[in-house]
Order: sequence, then C-alpha cells, then structure tokens
Amino acid sequence: MEYMLKTVGLDKTVTTSEGQLTILKGIELEIKESESVAIAGASGSGKTTLLSLLAGLDVPSQGQVFLGPYELTAMNEEQRAKVRGELVGFVFQTFQLLASLTALENVMLPAELKGDARAEQQARDLLERVGLSHRSHHYPNQLSGGEQQRVAIARAFGSSAKVLFADEPTGNLDTATGLHIIDLMFSLNQEFGTTLVLVTHDQRLADRCNRAINIESGELVQGVD
Amino acid sequence: MHFMLALKLLWRDWRAGELTLLLASLVIAVGTVTTITLFVDRLQKALLQESATFLGADRVISSSSPIDTAWQVKASSLGLRQAQTLGFLSMVFSDDRAQFSSVKAVDENYPLRGQLIISEAPFVRGRPITHGPKSGEVWMESRLFPSLDVTTGDVLDIGVAGFPLTQVLVKEPDRGGGFESAAGPRVMMNLADVPVTEVVQPGSRLTYRYLFAGDEQALQDFERWIRPKLKVGDRWLGVRQGAQGIGNALDRAESFLLLGGLLGVVLAGVAIALAAQRYSLRHYDHVAILKTLGATPNGVDSIFVTILLVLGLVGTLLGSALGFVTQMGVVNILDSVIPIELPGPGFRGIWLGLITGFICLLSFALPPLLKLRATEPVRVIRRDIDTASVSDRLTYSFAIIGTLGLMYWYSGDYKLTLLIFSGAVVATIVLSIVAYLMLRSGRILGMQAGSSWRLALAGMQRRGRENTLQILVFGLAIMLLLILYLVRTALITEWQAQIPKDAPNHFALNISPQDVEPIEQLFKEKKIKAQPLFSMIRGRVSKVNGESARERKISSWRQRQSEGGKGGGGPGIDSSRNLTWATKLPSQNDVIEGSWWEENYSGPTLVSVEESFAQRGDINIGDELVFTIQGQTLTALVSSIRSVAWDNMQPNFYIIFSPGGLADFPATFMTSFFLDKTNKLFLNQLLRQYPTMTVIEVDAVIEQIQSIIENVTLAIELVLVLILVSGALVLLASIQASMDERFREHAILRTLGAGQRLVLGSLFIEFCVLGVFAGLLATFGAEITVYALETQIFDLKYELNPVLWVIGPLTGMVLIGVVGVAATFKVVKTAPSTVLRESI
Repeated sequence: MEYMLKTVGLDKTVTTSEGQLTILKGIELEIKESESVAIAGASGSGKTTLLSLLAGLDVPSQGQVFLGPYELTAMNEEQRAKVRGELVGFVFQTFQLLASLTALENVMLPAELKGDARAEQQARDLLERVGLSHRSHHYPNQLSGGEQQRVAIARAFGSSAKVLFADEPTGNLDTATGLHIIDLMFSLNQEFGTTLVLVTHDQRLADRCNRAINIESGELVQGVD
Repeated sequence: MHFMLALKLLWRDWRAGELTLLLASLVIAVGTVTTITLFVDRLQKALLQESATFLGADRVISSSSPIDTAWQVKASSLGLRQAQTLGFLSMVFSDDRAQFSSVKAVDENYPLRGQLIISEAPFVRGRPITHGPKSGEVWMESRLFPSLDVTTGDVLDIGVAGFPLTQVLVKEPDRGGGFESAAGPRVMMNLADVPVTEVVQPGSRLTYRYLFAGDEQALQDFERWIRPKLKVGDRWLGVRQGAQGIGNALDRAESFLLLGGLLGVVLAGVAIALAAQRYSLRHYDHVAILKTLGATPNGVDSIFVTILLVLGLVGTLLGSALGFVTQMGVVNILDSVIPIELPGPGFRGIWLGLITGFICLLSFALPPLLKLRATEPVRVIRRDIDTASVSDRLTYSFAIIGTLGLMYWYSGDYKLTLLIFSGAVVATIVLSIVAYLMLRSGRILGMQAGSSWRLALAGMQRRGRENTLQILVFGLAIMLLLILYLVRTALITEWQAQIPKDAPNHFALNISPQDVEPIEQLFKEKKIKAQPLFSMIRGRVSKVNGESARERKISSWRQRQSEGGKGGGGPGIDSSRNLTWATKLPSQNDVIEGSWWEENYSGPTLVSVEESFAQRGDINIGDELVFTIQGQTLTALVSSIRSVAWDNMQPNFYIIFSPGGLADFPATFMTSFFLDKTNKLFLNQLLRQYPTMTVIEVDAVIEQIQSIIENVTLAIELVLVLILVSGALVLLASIQASMDERFREHAILRTLGAGQRLVLGSLFIEFCVLGVFAGLLATFGAEITVYALETQIFDLKYELNPVLWVIGPLTGMVLIGVVGVAATFKVVKTAPSTVLRESI
C-alpha cells in the first residue's frame, strides 16, 4: 500500500441558523506512510474539520476517507472507534488529559482500553522518554502547560499508533516551550516511524514537515514540499 | 470488558468529589425509605397489637346464642387461640343492698390480648393481670363497692349462689367505649360458675362472645370461612370495628405515613436525577477523549453502567445501614414516650430500601449516563457540538415510569399515587408556563454588570432554560414539603379537637330529677368541670312506617349480605337504647339530611336519627317511627339524619327527640365530667351520697386513645423531618447543577473588575427571586393537592390556608436564598485563575 491516508471527493457541509454552510469542498488528498504533513490555512478555512475527518472523529457529507486498509466512511462509530484505537494517536491544542487521572494513568489509557497487560510498564517508559517520570503521580492541574502537552504526546505514542494527528499542538504554549514540544514530537515520530498529520499556524512546525498543504475557503491549494 | 478501568475511574471520580452528591442522594433515598418503612412497620404492628386490646382479641364473634362447635374446631385447625365470655344482666346483692349489674363470665383463656387491671380497694391504681377470676370468686367494678356498701372479702350473691369479692376490677380490656357500659356496672366471674347461679334460664338475654387471636393470614382465612355462616344478629368484630376512637385515627395515620414515604421517594428520585445529570454533563468531554483513544460506544456503556452498579451497591448498602441505625436510634429516643413494646424490625423495610435504591438508579440515574455513549468524538476539537442526541423523551419516560411504579409499589394505593402524581404534573405544567412568561418579558441586553440587581435579573433571563428547570425543581420540592406539613397539621388539629386534654372522662347516669340541682351544686363546690345535664329515657323502636322494626332489621341485613356488604356493625334498630331530647344540635353532630328544629319548637313530635342507624333500618326523612317507652307507645316523624363523631367519647345518641317530645315520660338525667387521676376518690363520696346514680369511668380508655394518637403524631413528625432532609438534598443537588456555569461566568466578571460584593449580591438576589417564584407556585400546587388528599384520602374537611400564601413564598425566598448562597459561596472565594485554568 502506497498511502496511509487518502480522501476522494471529500465534502463537509453543516446546517446553521443562517442555512447551509460548506466547510470543505472536493478535497482529494493522499499521504504516504511515515510522511509528515502540515495542514495550514487561515482561521475558519476548514483545516481542523479536515483533520477530524481524516482521523475518523467526524463523518463527511460526501466522499470517502481511507485510513490504512480501512474505509472510514463505510464504517459505523463502533467500528471507527476500534480503528482509532488500533491506528491513531492524537495531540490537541488544549492537551485534553483526564483531570481525575494522574500523568501515568493518562498515558496508560490507550493500552488499557485495548486490554494490554503491559500498559503500565509501557507508560512508565514513555514518561521517561518525555522526561516526566518524576511527575508520573501528579494530576494535570499540578503540571504546567508544557508538561501537560508532553504527557499528551506520551499518551499519543502509547497506543502504538501508525498515524499521529496533532491539532495546533503548540497553540497554547510559549515560544520556548513550543520549540521543545516540536523537537520531542518529531524525534518520537522518527523513532516510531509514524505518519504525522498536523494542523498548525506555526511556521517552524510546518517547516519541519515533509510537506505542507494549504486550505483556503474549504478547498485544497497545492502544497509545498 | 473495561471493568478495572471503570473501577479506576470510579475511584478517581470519587476522590475528586464528582460522585459525592450522587452517592449522598442515593444513601439518603434508601435510608429514608428504610427508616420510615422499618419504623412504621414496627409501630403499626405495635399499634395493632395495642388496638387489639380493645377487643381483648384479634377478632370476636358476638352472638345472642351459642355458636356451632364446628366453628371452634375450624379455628383450632387454623392454629388460632380461643377464649369465651358470656354476658348477661342481673341483680347482685350484698347483705342489705341490691344493684342492677352487667355480669361477664370469662373462661381461663381470657383475655387473648391486653390485660386486666385489678386492685385491693376501689378507685385506686391497680396492677395488671393476664387472666380473669378463678372459679369460686368474683371481681367487681369500683363504683359498685360504695353502691352495695361492701369491701373486698365480703360475699356477693348472684342468683342463688354467693361468691367472695376478692378483687376490685379496675379495667378490663374489652369493656367498650364507655357508653355501652351504661347498661350496668360490671361484675366479673368465672364461666364455670354460671350454672350454679341459676341466673341463666331459657329466654334469658345473653351475649356470647367468642374471642380469637393468632396469625393474620389464619385470621383472614377464618373470616372468609365464617362470614357466610353468620346468622342474623351475629357480629364479626375486627380491631377497627371494635376499637372505638382509634380506628379512624389508625387509618389516617397509615395513609399519612405512606404519603410521607411516597414523597420521600419522589424527592430522592429528583435528587438522584439531578446529581446524575450533572455527573453526566461533566463527563461528556472525558468520554469524547476516551473515544479518540479507541473506546467504542458499547465500551463507554459498559464503563458507566459498571460505575453505576458499583455505586448502587455501595449506596444501597450504606443507605440500608443508615436506615436501620436511624430507626433504632429513633426508637431509643422515643422509648420513654412510647408506652408500648415495639416488636423487632422486619426484613421488609430493608428489602424495600434496597430495591428502591436500585429502581431509583435505573429510572433516574441511568438515562443521563446512557446519553454519554452518543458523545461525538469530534467534541474534543469542536466544543460547539451538541451533546443530547439520545432522546430526552426516553429519559423522561424512564423517570415517569420509575416514579409511578415506585409510588404505587410503596403505597399499594393507586388513588393516593395518582393524586400525588397528578398534583406534581399540574404543578410542573403551571410552573413551566409561568416561568416561560416571566422570561418572555423582554430580553435585557448585555450582562448589566453595573449593579447586583441588574446583574441578577439579566443572568436569570440569560439562563432561561436552566432557571425554568430550577424553579420547577425548587417549586416541586417546596410543594411536596408543604403538602406534608398541611396534611400533618390538619390531622393533628382534628385529633386534638376530638379528644382535648381536659375532655370529660366520666359519665354520670340515672340521676333522678330531684338530684339534678344538688349534683350540679356539688360539682360547682368541688370545682369539677361538668357538661349540662341531658335527660335520658330507655326505649326502643317498635315500628317503622307500620312495619315491625325487627322485620325491617332482618330484611335490611339480608339485603346488605346479598350485596356483599360488611355491614352489621352496630346494635339492631329494635334494641333498647337511651333516648333523649334537645333544643340545640349537640356538638360534633352534623345534619346531613333534612333539618334541625327551631329552639322553641312546639309542634308534633319529631326525631333526629343517626346515619348508620338510619341505614341499618332503611329509615328516611318523613318516615314514621313508633317507640315503645316504659310500656307505652309514642309516634314521631323523622325530620333529620345526623352524622355523629362517635370517636369523641362523649354522650352521643342514635335518636334525639324534639323539645317536649318525651315530656310524658319520667326521665333520669345524665352528664359527663372531667376528673383528674388524683381526684378519683371523689367518686366514693358521689356514689355514697347518690347510690342510685351510675358512674362510668372512661378515663383509662381516653388516656389510651390519647397516647396512641400522640404516638402516631410522633411518627408523623419523624417522617416530616426525614422528608425535609430529602428536600434539602434536592435543593442542594439542583443548585450544584448550575454551579459550573456560574463559576465560569463570575470568574470572568471578576477578572474584568467586578468586586466580590457585586458577585455575591447578585447571587443572593438571583436565588431569592427564584425562591419567591418557586414558593408562590409551590403554594398553589400544594393547596390543590391537599384539597384532593384531604377530601379523598384522609376524610377531613378542607379549609383554604391564606397564611400559606405569605409563608410559602417567604419560605422559598429564605430557604433557597440561604442555601443557594451557602452552596455557591465558593464562586466568590475561589481565585478566578483557578476557575479559568480548570475550565480549559
């Protein structure tokens, strides 16, 4: 298989109080295995929506999405969830850690959901890798923004994901911390050989990727390698 | 599948305080139901046992002839204990005096319930004893001693036999409601001694009473078997028919306690629903994250159902333990006040509590949690995604079915269930409409953060939907509390009015006309509170509209039997009874048909007839009754039918003549008076001075009734307290549900410069205004529901409560204002940065 991700004729329209709103139109996209792609565009261009469709978090109004060997658009939510558990990792702008779980427990979650007996050991290794083993028993509200994002990154790789989706991962961080996070993400990415798709305004992040694609008013504009 | 994960999340949520309110609501719900059921069960059993002492048994067959021995064999085969008594009227003689008396011969098993009280001397406190006189001795009521001028040890002649008077009979359990004993003072002897007296001859008027006691199921089986076999004139008496004065009180108390339990269940259900709703709302984001990590909808279900089941198990067990301990504590506290021995707690209460807990969880907590499975994972990126895609209709259906089911199961009374439920539905609709109207009155622009008032009002309008719900919940909780309070007050007022503390507790009969003035003077001198004297004549109805009264009685009895009626309580219309005349309608008598005569009436003789008497004889307004009085006949027309409060232990009459109606007949007089325990020896003086007078002591009976009523009142107040706790929890849950949004809003306000005083002031105003509205609407709902309850269930007279329309809104304002601010005080105390950081 040449591609990890593929879309065919992807449309997304939503109904608002003012009528139908087209967010994405005719998106045709292919992303290869182990490729890193940045999706860029102005606010409201539809890049986050595209990310959520690629990750199977949402369903398009029209078109098809293929993730690995699976056609996401032909699946129900139960099946999509299983695919996410098997293939996908996420890093969000707002970290999205569970407040009632410690750093270690948050990282353990994906493996626990799969019933993996090695969940705890794996999680400890990952926290060590991101430099937070000494904070493993702390709760998210006891960690700084950068530390929370590192935990989120550790969690994303904890599911042995083939594809990592990141939505503005440095959006809530200061410049210096953001740089650290970028370095961490890419080094782990290389180590695990994952395909990386990220939405970003951060030019430094976009520059680190193999390719950048632009979305303008819901339509794909050819990217730059 | 995700059992360990579920347990971990449960534990973490518990540590974070996410589950406190839900668990507390569940524990209180189960605890309330368990406490009430256990306590009520025990009290009911005890009251029934106590009430059975009025009969001396659980059931009695009363007949004018011996019953078929096969009946006694049947009773034995069902495991019932039996006793027998024989009653007849006879002269009894001392050395130089004679008295007409009511003799009761009892066997060695008598009484089956309750105790007799005997003493060595008349009119002193006695000691309890569980059997009657042995063969060869007799006991006698206190008042006969001065009348016959005898003391204990002297011999009393009954018929041709003489017996030593060994004890004074102070109290026998089944003496009856006082006025029936006007037939004669009591002499008690052993049943085996009756033949030697030769008093009982063919044609003697005798009352055979066969007493039964035992297991309730066996008694009911026996009743079913025996009813078709009863003859005309046979009476089957259970506790309620036999227990004059308390039957009604017991019925009402049971209904009230059930009502309390019902309301407790409803309130608890609301609290659980609110707490579960909040828990669910706070977990949408968590579930969205779990879904991005691979949790399937079924997986989400299994996690939260596991959480619910574990919580349910812990909550119901804790609640049952709490209920058991609370109930034991209450019993201990009330031990000195409740004079009756409470039987041990049964398992029914525990089971009821456990099952209630799980039904509450399933009906109220499960639906909000099931919504979580439909959380869209894209919510992690787009917070604007709506959450409630599992139908709200399903949620409400679960809740309604669960509520109705629990209410009916708990009360076993569909009428009560429907009344309460309808009241709540009507209140809900009205509350919603009014709240909607309030919000429609122009949307205020902006946050209006310039003053606490404007901030509060603008906030209320903005949070329209949530505020409607809050008014609804507050209103419902206050309404249920008001209902309970109103009904309780009405019941207690009615009971106290029936038998006030200084109600006359002695009757004096057979007062000759020439003794009336001296006796009135004596009462005045001794400062004894006495009622005005009534004249009294013995007579009986011989004809009704030309038909023999006896024939009428029989045909009426047959008709009632064929209609499957349980009627037959009460003496036959042709029996001899006390007749009187009156100018005014006596107190606690109400004319229900026809009309009472004028005070100065002097026309043809009229009579006013009591309603059950009229029913037994099929007597109507305008009917002609012929009376046989002292060998002569007297005709009178029925001009009114009255209802009489027989429970009030006052002289009451089945038949009252118009003024002058009985002028041709020599009458004696009667009165009732109040005598304190310490003054009992006055009766010695009274009876020695006026030996022809009969005095009936009902003080012991009245005391017993009052004590039972007081105990029941206590139980009712306990229920009220428990329900108040449930209600407070509901208020708290409802306020908590709105906390998150208030936190965020006010944190932002404070970062923009709003002071703590402004924010606190606006919170206080908002809750007070919500409270006033809720109180007003609750009062409206309560009045309607209480009207239905009082007239349909409790058989009380409904009266509007104007004061309530002030108290209701005031209570709402104070209660919700204070509780609301106390619960949301954190909003002003928590640093805005903490709130804002945690909400990211």
